[in-house]
Amino acid sequence: MNIVVLVKQVPDTWSERKLSDADHTLDRASADAVLDEINERAVEEALLAKEAQGGEVTVVCMGPERANEAIRKALSMGADSAVHVSDEALHGSDAVQTARTLAAAIGTLESVDLVIAGNESTDGRAGAVPAMVAELLGWPQLTYARKLDTDGQSVSIERESDAGVATVEANLPALVSVTEKINEPRYPSFKGIMAAKKKPVSTLSVADVGLSADEVGLGSAPTQVVSSAPAPPKEAGVKVTDEGEGGVQIVEFLSGQKLV
Amino acid sequence: MSFRESEERQALRTAAAELGRRYGYEYYVQQARSGGHTTELWQEAGKLGYLGVNLPEEYGGGGAGIGELSTVLEELGAAGCPLLMMVVSPAICGTVIARFGTDEQKQRWLPGLADGSLTMAFAITEPDAGSNAHKLTTTARRDGDDWVLSGRKVFISGIDVADAVMVVGRTEDARTGKLKPALFVVPTEAPGFEWQGIDMELVSPDRQFSLFFDEVRLPADALVGSEDAGLLQLFAGLNPERIMASAMATGTARHALDKAVAYVKERSVWSTPIGAHQGLSHPLAQIKIELELARLMTQKAAFLYDSGDDTGAGEAANMAKYAAAEVSTRAVDQAVQSLGGNGLTTEYGVASMVAAARLARVAPVSREMILNFVAQNALGLPKSY
Repeated sequence: MNIVVLVKQVPDTWSERKLSDADHTLDRASADAVLDEINERAVEEALLAKEAQGGEVTVVCMGPERANEAIRKALSMGADSAVHVSDEALHGSDAVQTARTLAAAIGTLESVDLVIAGNESTDGRAGAVPAMVAELLGWPQLTYARKLDTDGQSVSIERESDAGVATVEANLPALVSVTEKINEPRYPSFKGIMAAKKKPVSTLSVADVGLSADEVGLGSAPTQVVSSAPAPPKEAGVKVTDEGEGGVQIVEFLSGQKLV
Repeated sequence: MSFRESEERQALRTAAAELGRRYGYEYYVQQARSGGHTTELWQEAGKLGYLGVNLPEEYGGGGAGIGELSTVLEELGAAGCPLLMMVVSPAICGTVIARFGTDEQKQRWLPGLADGSLTMAFAITEPDAGSNAHKLTTTARRDGDDWVLSGRKVFISGIDVADAVMVVGRTEDARTGKLKPALFVVPTEAPGFEWQGIDMELVSPDRQFSLFFDEVRLPADALVGSEDAGLLQLFAGLNPERIMASAMATGTARHALDKAVAYVKERSVWSTPIGAHQGLSHPLAQIKIELELARLMTQKAAFLYDSGDDTGAGEAANMAKYAAAEVSTRAVDQAVQSLGGNGLTTEYGVASMVAAARLARVAPVSREMILNFVAQNALGLPKSY
């Protein structure tokens, strides 16, 4: 079966992340860029499915030239090839435009059976792109998967949400988005690292995937960021000295925050 | 040559660092204090091919060099869980077998050394011979096709986790009657071979042993390489050893420096973090500089070694080992000082590094022997011994 994994390069969650003052888009220069961890899990799940069912894993990524590094990481883990949509015109694209671009990139590939994505990126955190891509492809979407099974004909997931856990099934082709509970991603082996450079990466422009430059990017984005402000500094927490009532006070605090 | 590492090496560095961080110093110390080993980490690194990056691809290795192998060890050290046996098993023994072994010996050992399923210790030091290969008394004599090995070794790392040990012994030259060094692979289960742990004050899961060889009978192919070129072969394995020891020490220095820096950024005694005071910031900055210099020399030594320049690598590897040992000792000492009382607690995990960091000044070759080497070879000064 042919599996596509959607991957995104994001600023390292450990570094300080900023938006640029000029257009409120991500300031990519201010932080180390890494393959989003949730995407590592998506790649891992694709590799597990490939190991069980055979087939090919193709990484699809939209991002500037530098996103190549994130692609390389996915390839070093064991993905077979990659499609990198890289175009100046994409700068500032919102979730809808991103989904259109990714769906169009998937459309350039032959016979895709399954698309796996992370449920949301650690930078944008909209959590909307996987569902939008499925909609644009006209495929069933199985989101928030904490477990994935496929026999090559259909896919079944355990979908975990605030409301509980449901088993969801669909025939292929389909799109699945995974949560961080899905697996522990593998480390790239040294052989994988050495092989990654030799694997095919096709770099496509917006035109190559059949879109025009005025459909994507900040200028034509359906949603716009009007203003942004840094997160307020963390406030000092409440310190409770345990004088025999510590447990009760913790429960009171938690129930006050509606956490229990 | 370039000061920028290849993409592959950077990727390997990142991957090894991530693996190391998942285990970390707490794991390392817990294994050390409970009498355990770093087996899980060793096996995982082995499966990923990180332990055999320097060994030939046709025998299951990564086909890269000591530059790559030392990168792995440095990153594991920086994460707080250095694998000492990497210095020995793939770097010394793997190198010697790959360069001088027969096809059968390569087939027998290299795939296992590369994936970590086999570990080979290395034994040179003797109670009365230090690391002086000319004074070794462990001797192998011919008996038919076999070799019979007798002697003692001391301060041998990791024999308890090893499947075999490469022993530097001597054989008698048939013509001159003189003894000359030769390398033998001795399986740890060989009859007549016994060992005993040496109690050490190091907090390390890698333990030290005295070895006793009492008429240990070995097949003809236990001899690695040529009987006549033992010394040359030995030195071929010792350059990688020194480069790896340097990488381990710079890794340790990084780990200590990271802990110190994190602490002095957070800790405020009056209004500013204590790291703002030059009494702490300057010594830490100085260590950072010395650390980068030691890393640079380690990388130079690895580069020379991997490009086939054994002689050039020898001097650089010794200098790198000197610099790395100095900075690891000083980094841990300054980390203790930076953390004050906390630097000596169990919780902060700094004091427990003191002896292990100090070890780098003593082994695998002492600081003084390196200074002798540089005095004589680089400066042309006369020898006192």
